[in-house]
Amino acid sequence: MPNPPPALELRGISKQFPGVKALSGVNLLVRPGEIHALLGENGAGKSTLLKIISGVQQPDEGEMFISGRPVKLVGTKAARAAGIAMIHQELQLIPELNAAQNMFLGSPRVTCGVLLAHDAMQKRASEVLHDLDPGIDVRTPVKYLSVAQRQMVEIARALLTDARVIAMDEPTSSLTPSEFEKLVVLIRKLAERGVAIIYVSHKLEEVFELCGRATVLRDGVWIDELQLANTTEPELVAKMVGRELVHNTRHRTAGGEIVLEARGLQWKSRVRGVSLAVRRGEILGIAGLVGAGRSELVGLLAGLQRPDAGEIFVHGKAQQFANPGSAIRAGIALVPEERKREGIIPLMSILSNVGLPTLNKATRFGLIRHGALRARVHADAVRVNMRPLALSRPIRLFSGGNQQKAIICRWLSSGIDVLIFDEPTRGIDIGAKEEIYKIIEELAAEGCAIIVVSSEMREVMYLSDRLLVMQGGKLAGELSHQQYSEEAIMTLAIPRADMAPAASQELS
Amino acid sequence: MTNVKLRDLPVRDMGTLFGLVLIFATFAFVSPIFMESRNLVNILQQSSINACIAIGMTLIIISGGIDLSVGPVAALSAVISASMLAAGVPPWIGMLAGLAVGISCGVVNGVLIAYGGLQPFIVTLGTLSIYRALALIYTGGNPVLNIPSEFRSWFGNSLAGLPMPVIIVCIVSALAWVLLRKTPIGEYLLAVGGNEEAARIAGVPVALTKVTAYAISGGLASLAAMIVVARLGAAEPILGNLWELEAIAAAAIGGASLLGGKGGIVGTLLGAIILGAMRNGLTLLNVQAFYQLLATGLVILLAMLVDRLTRGRA
Repeated sequence: MPNPPPALELRGISKQFPGVKALSGVNLLVRPGEIHALLGENGAGKSTLLKIISGVQQPDEGEMFISGRPVKLVGTKAARAAGIAMIHQELQLIPELNAAQNMFLGSPRVTCGVLLAHDAMQKRASEVLHDLDPGIDVRTPVKYLSVAQRQMVEIARALLTDARVIAMDEPTSSLTPSEFEKLVVLIRKLAERGVAIIYVSHKLEEVFELCGRATVLRDGVWIDELQLANTTEPELVAKMVGRELVHNTRHRTAGGEIVLEARGLQWKSRVRGVSLAVRRGEILGIAGLVGAGRSELVGLLAGLQRPDAGEIFVHGKAQQFANPGSAIRAGIALVPEERKREGIIPLMSILSNVGLPTLNKATRFGLIRHGALRARVHADAVRVNMRPLALSRPIRLFSGGNQQKAIICRWLSSGIDVLIFDEPTRGIDIGAKEEIYKIIEELAAEGCAIIVVSSEMREVMYLSDRLLVMQGGKLAGELSHQQYSEEAIMTLAIPRADMAPAASQELS
Repeated sequence: MTNVKLRDLPVRDMGTLFGLVLIFATFAFVSPIFMESRNLVNILQQSSINACIAIGMTLIIISGGIDLSVGPVAALSAVISASMLAAGVPPWIGMLAGLAVGISCGVVNGVLIAYGGLQPFIVTLGTLSIYRALALIYTGGNPVLNIPSEFRSWFGNSLAGLPMPVIIVCIVSALAWVLLRKTPIGEYLLAVGGNEEAARIAGVPVALTKVTAYAISGGLASLAAMIVVARLGAAEPILGNLWELEAIAAAAIGGASLLGGKGGIVGTLLGAIILGAMRNGLTLLNVQAFYQLLATGLVILLAMLVDRLTRGRA
């Protein structure tokens, strides 16, 4: 077989940040047409490596080759010109602009030197985009597109510049299974055209399905390059984490008395007549596709929105929540889905972030008793294995997993009766994931009623004692633990042909 | 915590302090009387009005808002309080009435912002006109005279060599520092300004927090108005013109971020003294007012540039 030069090769890349060696001697080799997984826990150095590849940062040491030629990439423009494109985890599109405008942002086509050539750009954009998803009109403002469609626009933008290497950072973190399947087809098509794909994901199932080889990083160090066909998942995890993970099986319980009950909850067209009940010590899972109304439902339970109709009972007493604060006073708290937007206060310390909801209980004569507060938060932080255990440090400097642990810590000694987790481990590495599972199980064992919303089917099945499946804003069914299987969940979650057209859009 | 040392100051406040020392050193070098204790007291006195306003402004800026209406709030409470005093009402009742007017104006701002869902800039831009108009309508545009000397002497006295306004600002600063650093409201202000949606989900009483900040700002605006009325012996309906910009400048020089979630009382006080010392020093050097304005603008921009360049180190 004639061996073409690798599309991208990195040799001995090192990068030092003040106080941290982010990367030391990392290698990466991606061939044209290859789908190459880049794996590692959060903080392993994947993001830094991607930044170096896309020209955002420059390595202190090491060499970089594109198609066999040595390059130095300074700035994203240089990287793009060299044929490297990045698809970010948090999509970087401007909501008010349409798909075509977004695709040409930064390198617009002009006529007469200054005027934007809208027609030419739209024509070219729709040519490229049509290949990926014929359903997208390039004139639609991006804010009206689904997350999956926005991703297509991002990828189309990469193709526009004729990228030879496309790096994808967690491209599926907010996609539904059907959208994921479409993305898989697309990625394979790109690979067939000879594009080299670097694929970063925490979801190992996807990695095994999609990728041929994988490079594993740990603590900024290159660990191994593996042929995935010859590797098992536990082996891979062990390489990433540096130790074997054990799944402890919890004693399943039917739970105690009912703590929280909802009847006929209704909100806009997103939640349509949902009733449910959670018991003391029980973990109730809620599964469903993105857009099925799960987050909206738990938002109603936690007082984020007021239901248009329906009732909520806590310990048998009817309650109406004006805001999250009143839900918290009734004993219901939420660990929200979007950590950055709804969870953390970035500039504040871990201590302040954790103490926020319980400050009123930590005062004497109106003044915060900082000593007592710190002692309590310290104990909770130790319990969740916060790393580093630096309570005065701003939370924004911590990894996603540790930020999530801090958000959970808020409620550990708050006397809350019902704790709702919306996507508890999104964007969190495997080690921290296991730790968060352990905390959730401990809380349940202590008598807290738990609701877990998750798009990861393994996660809800692993955690929950009982599972509700939502579809199109309604409860499609309930599964007991004995009935759990991915097929059973999907059968309930996917809209059927006889459903209203609005609800079946997702699958089309 | 009992023994606050210089090195315990946040890095940003150290920077502001350094700027202040630099300005003092420069003026001390070129003007022999600048460092005389009488002039230093003068600087503090001249800075006290702005400091008083800027403390309230800092709390609001930390919460992610802005209060453009402080000048007119001061004017409105000044003329109402002064007309009561001139009519022979006991001075302490006249003063409380003035403070109540200021706090009420602040509450109106806060309610429109927190419950009406309007943007702070627009709300206080609107009430800036309205409160000023009310003050002008109430007085017919004329100053209120005949302020009783008892009231004037309250703010005119000195204690341990320090003029009353300086002492009042010291007390207000101490209270505001405690509020910001030691009470739940202070944490709520930082949280609301840092990430309002996250604060709401964590159970922070967002609306109440905002209303509190605007109420305090209104109250401090009227307190500053009382000091001015006592000093001048009259209340002008046009009092407090451009106070809001001076106060915002002091807070910004002191490290408050107009994006919210960041700022402190110590920094703002230093910022107010920097502005006061600049004005004082340039006047001593007989620099024209036009150039003083220029210098003030340059100092603000310089402070922001230094802030930008050193960000991320702390």
